[in-house]
Amino acid sequence: MQNDPVDVLVVGAGASGAAVLWSLLETRMKFLCLEQGLRISDMDFPSRDADYELARYGRFSCDPNVRGLKQDYPINSDESCITPVNWNGVGGSTINFLAHWPRMKPSDFRTATLDGVAEDWPVDYARLEPFYEMNDRNVGVSGLGGNPAYPNYALDLPPIPIGKLGQTLANGFNRMGWHWWPSDVAILSQDHEGRQKCVNAGTCDLGCAAGAKGGANFTYWPILENAGVELRTECRVREILVDKGTGLATGVLYHGPDGRVHEQRAELVIMACNGVGTPRLLLNSRSGMFPEGVANRSGMVGRNLMFHPLTGVSGVFDEPMKGHEGPMACSILSQEFYETDPDRNFVRGYGLHSGRSTTPMTFALGGYGIDDPIPWGNQHRFIMDDIYPYLAGLTVVTEDLPEGHNRVTLDPVLTDSDGIPAPKISYRLGENTKRMLEHGKERAKEVLLAAGARKLLFKDDNTVWWRAGWHQMGTCRMGHDPRNSVVDGWGRCHDVKNLFIVDGSIFVTSGAVNPTSTIQALALYVGECIKDNIYNLFE
Amino acid sequence: MWSEAELRVLSSILDELIPASPDGRVPGAGAVVAAEFFRSAAQYAVDPVGAIDVVLAGVSAMTEDFSALDRPERIEILKVVETETPENFALLVRLAYMGYYSRPEIRPLFGPGAQPVHPRGYTVPDESSELIDRLTKPVRQRGRCYRT
Ligand SMILES: Cc1cc2nc3c(=O)[nH]c(=O)nc-3n(C[C@H](O)[C@H](O)[C@H](O)COP(=O)(O)OP(=O)(O)OC[C@H]3O[C@@H](n4cnc5c(N)ncnc54)[C@H](O)[C@@H]3O)c2cc1C
Ligand code: SF4
Repeated sequence: MQNDPVDVLVVGAGASGAAVLWSLLETRMKFLCLEQGLRISDMDFPSRDADYELARYGRFSCDPNVRGLKQDYPINSDESCITPVNWNGVGGSTINFLAHWPRMKPSDFRTATLDGVAEDWPVDYARLEPFYEMNDRNVGVSGLGGNPAYPNYALDLPPIPIGKLGQTLANGFNRMGWHWWPSDVAILSQDHEGRQKCVNAGTCDLGCAAGAKGGANFTYWPILENAGVELRTECRVREILVDKGTGLATGVLYHGPDGRVHEQRAELVIMACNGVGTPRLLLNSRSGMFPEGVANRSGMVGRNLMFHPLTGVSGVFDEPMKGHEGPMACSILSQEFYETDPDRNFVRGYGLHSGRSTTPMTFALGGYGIDDPIPWGNQHRFIMDDIYPYLAGLTVVTEDLPEGHNRVTLDPVLTDSDGIPAPKISYRLGENTKRMLEHGKERAKEVLLAAGARKLLFKDDNTVWWRAGWHQMGTCRMGHDPRNSVVDGWGRCHDVKNLFIVDGSIFVTSGAVNPTSTIQALALYVGECIKDNIYNLFE
Repeated sequence: MWSEAELRVLSSILDELIPASPDGRVPGAGAVVAAEFFRSAAQYAVDPVGAIDVVLAGVSAMTEDFSALDRPERIEILKVVETETPENFALLVRLAYMGYYSRPEIRPLFGPGAQPVHPRGYTVPDESSELIDRLTKPVRQRGRCYRT
C-alpha cells in the first residue's frame, strides 16, 4: 500500500525526532513521523498505582526484553556486559529517562587533538552552544549557573533541592577539596509555562505523572501536533528505500497497525530511532547498491557502540538520608575527575553522580539497573532496618571510548513481532574504562568517608551495572571522512544525500555525561543546517 | 492449587525470608504476601508457581511439619533447599521481596509513603540561596576546571 508522499519523514518520535521536527516547523513543509510505539497518557503511568514499584519489573521495565510489549523489539545482549534499555513510544526513552541534563564539555569534542584518542567531532562546543540554549528553553531546565566546570551559561529555573543527601555529600566533596555542583536537570523546580513543578516523587523512570520532567511527550510533541505534524503510531519501519538511479532515499517500508506493509514516500528521510534502533534499520536496508546496509559503504554502521559503563559505591550514614524523596538521577554531580590528567593511568575521565537512593523493593532486589537481591533471613532484616534508610551513594559514570569491535549487528534468528531482525549487541569493557572504574570507586569511597559515612558498600569485582545501557551512542558516527564515518558534519549520510540521522548514533565520542541534552542540541543544529541548505540540499 | 498445609508451609518459609522485627514493628512476609501474588506473578517470571512447587517439595522432603520447627531448624532446611535448587529458590526470594515491598502498608516502615507517589509526591523544603552559596563557595573559589 502506498501513502501520499511527504516532504520530511522522521522515523522515531523520541527525543531527537521531536527536536528536529520542531526546528524544521518554520519551513512549513509537510511532515510525517512514523513511530512503532503508542502514545501514553500521564494517567497511565504506574506511579499512580498503589503497588507502583512492581511495574519496574513488568510493563514499565526499562528493559525491552523484560517488557516484551508488541511495540518493543527484542535485543540480544548475550555477548555484552551491558544491555541497552529504552522506551518505544511517543516521547521515546524520555518517557522513562531520569532527566539528568549535563552538557558535554568543550574538551569532549576534541579528544584526538587534546588527548590523542578517538576522533575530534566535526562540530565543537561553541557551535552547539546556541542549540543547547534553545533546547534548554524548550525543555525547561533547572540548575545553578556559574558552574566552574563549564563555560558559563544561564538556566531558566533554580536548582531542584539537593536534599539532605546532596548536602551531606557536598560537605564530603568540600572536605576533599573536589569539584561538585547541583545537577542540571530537565525537571521543573517551579511551575513553568503551563507545566507543573516536580513533586519529588522519586520514580522518574515510571513516567512523570506530574508532567514536570522534560520528556518529549510533554515538551515538543504538544507543539508539533498543534502545528499539524502528522504522527502515525504503531507504524514500524522495516527498510529505507533508495532509488538506484539517483542514489537518493525515496522513503520507507513500514508495518502499520493493520499488520500490513506500507510504502511511505518522502523527499527527506530523518532517522531518530536511537543508537541501537537506527543502525539496526540501516543494516536491514540492503540492496544491490548497499549490500551491507544503506549508507554503510564505510562499514561503520553499527560499530563504535558506546555506553557509559558505571558502577556504584554507597555510604551508610548515621541519619536517614530520605533518598526516596526527589528526582531519582540527580542531586549533585562531581566532575573533579572528568578531564584527562597525565598522572592517572587512563585518558579522559568520569563523573561521580549522586542520584537518590531508590524505593524499598528496588533496593531489596539489588538496586536500579542491577539484578542481585540482598540476602534473605536475619541479614535481610538488618540491611533493611539499619542500612537502607541511611544510604547515600555515588555512581562512577565513565567515558566510553569508541572501539570498532563494540557493535550492533543483526541477529540471524531473533526478530520482532513483525519479523524484522533484532539487534545483536557485541560489547566489552575497554582497558581504559576498567582503570577508570577502579579509580572512580576508590575516589567515591574516600569522599563518602569524608562526608561521614560509617560504612561503605561496594562490589569488589569489575562488574558494571547490567541494565545501564541507557545511553547508546556512536553507531553511525559523524565525520568529515566518508571512509570512517557514516554522516557528515551536519548529520547527512555521506552515501545518501537526503538521508539524515539525528540520534545518539552520530556521536563521535561519548563524554562522561548523560547524552540527551547534547542529542537534542545536535538535532536542532542538524535542523538548522537543513534549513540553511534547503535550496541546494541534494547537491 | 496449593493445599491448606502447603500454604501454611509457604507462609512459614516467607517468614524466614523476610522475618518480622523482634519488636514486632515490621511484620514478617508470611503475614503480608498472599499466595494470590505468586499465582498472578507470571508477568514477572516464566513459571513462578512451578518454582514454588519445587521449593515446597524440597522442604517437605526434609520435614513433615516445617511450620512446627523452631527458627534455626527452618533456616537450616531452607539453606539446604537453596543449595539443591538455587534457581527456583532465588525466584521465590525475588517474588517474596516483590510481593512484600509492593504492599502500601509496608513502605512507610522504611520511609516512603503508603500512597502512590503521584500525584502527591513528597514535600522537600526548598534550600535557601544562602545555603547553596555557602556550600558552593569553595568550589567557586577554586575557579575554572575545564579544558577547551
Ligand atoms: C531508564 C532510562 C534513564 C535515562 N536517563 C537519562 C538521563 O537521566 N539523562 C539523559 O540525558 N538521558 C537519559 N536516558 C537516555 C535518553 O532517554 C536517551 O538518550 C534519549 O531518549 C535518546 O533519544 P533518541 O531520540 O535517540 O531515542 P529515543 O528517545 O529512544 O526514541 C527513539 C524512538 O524511535 C522509535 N523507533 C525505533 N525503531 C523504530 C522503527 N523501526 N520504526 C518506528 N519507530 C522506531 C522508538 O519506538 C522510540 O520511540 C535514559 C534512558 C533510559 C531508558
Ligand atoms: S520526581 Fe519529579 S520529575 Fe520525577 S517523576 Fe516525580 S514529579 Fe516527575
